[in-house]
Amino acid sequence: MGAIDVSRLLATLVVLTGLLVAVQVDVLSHVRIFGVVVMVVWLWPLVLGLLGAGPLAMVVGAVSGLCFDAHAATNFGLNAAVGCAVAAVALRLERNGVGDIDGAAWWTAPALAAVGGVVAPLLLIVAGAFTLDFSLWRGSLMTTMVVNGVAFALVSRPLLVGTRIVTGLAPARR
Amino acid sequence: MALSPSRRRAITLSVLAGVTAVGLYQAGGVGNGVRGLAGGVLRPFSWAVNLVAAPIGHLLAGAVNYSDLVSQNQQLRSQLGKAQLAAGVNSGASQTLAALDAVLHLPFIGSTPSVVAQVVSVSPTNFAATVTLSKGAADGLLPGMPVVANGGVVGRIITTTNHGATVRLVTDANSSLNVTFGKQATTVLVDGRGVNNGLAMSGIPVTAPLTIGQILLSSSLSGSTMPGGLPVAKVTSISVTPGSSTYAATVSPVADLAHLSFVDVLLWEPST
Repeated sequence: MGAIDVSRLLATLVVLTGLLVAVQVDVLSHVRIFGVVVMVVWLWPLVLGLLGAGPLAMVVGAVSGLCFDAHAATNFGLNAAVGCAVAAVALRLERNGVGDIDGAAWWTAPALAAVGGVVAPLLLIVAGAFTLDFSLWRGSLMTTMVVNGVAFALVSRPLLVGTRIVTGLAPARR
Repeated sequence: MALSPSRRRAITLSVLAGVTAVGLYQAGGVGNGVRGLAGGVLRPFSWAVNLVAAPIGHLLAGAVNYSDLVSQNQQLRSQLGKAQLAAGVNSGASQTLAALDAVLHLPFIGSTPSVVAQVVSVSPTNFAATVTLSKGAADGLLPGMPVVANGGVVGRIITTTNHGATVRLVTDANSSLNVTFGKQATTVLVDGRGVNNGLAMSGIPVTAPLTIGQILLSSSLSGSTMPGGLPVAKVTSISVTPGSSTYAATVSPVADLAHLSFVDVLLWEPST
């Protein structure tokens, strides 16, 4: 990728990330499913990781998490840590050719996203324990995991396709 | 087996990073600074999304819920009429009470000054039950001040900025309040059980009579975090273990926390 391409990709990702976090904070926090907020800020780095954005996916995961953390009353940085971790796993999967939206079966990416949606709340609770906050598990954890898992599975493929069209990102062909 | 230098360096750096992270969280200062900065960065995006999303949301909500809105409006008018009637009746009673208070020098909760604030946002996360208010330190709000609305206690302020404050709702997992009930003024602790899960109360002595539907009031014991006598919760179920000297109860907040729009912040600080 040339320097102009990278700059264009970076600018696109900054705008998309800002918009997604704003949608998360201003829209999705009011549209609760069974009382649960769907966490698109966790799905976003997963999608970028699967699309082969490289370390940029982790940076985006951290930045979108930090922006979200600015609006949440949980310890600052928890969502950034989760975003980073999710992106790291997605990156590893992409490097091993798993979740390729063209090469793999159509259900692979939604299945991976569903697992991400189920595991991400657990990661947040583990991260919370490192900040000595042991109360996070007392919320609706199971509902949060199930709702996010289902929502991630449903939304992941359109988001993957849409992001690829807008950014031009694509997993490396092997 | 000796560790390689690179692994030793990685372990040392991890330990140092962990200790630094815990230290920063305990200090809180750096976190608040970065939080403010990140909030500023996101503001233009929020503005753009709200500009587009709000009219669409209102249009859809209006189209779908029009009949509900009409009936809600009628109910509100009826309630307003009743409230105005009650206010007229109460004004005479409060004058008498104020006169008695002046004579007896009793603390009178009705005289606690308060600030009306608008709820500007609800917690965007699944792991904390909070709301953000439109007023902050510049209006005299301080962390720890109680917040009431919709007929009961809503929560307490946990952080303030110049023109905003975050309120931890009574249902938050980190929230706990002293409440009192019955003729013997039994005092127990009510704990939040997390977002969407209401409240819980345990360790109630079997000698203390508690009935379903009973209202629990904030305790006025020394060191309480709320002024005494505020309605906090209503008993919804009671569970008794045979042979036990205590029992537990499930309670729900008296205030309707799902429909908060304006709240009263009591300018009251706990006695030391």
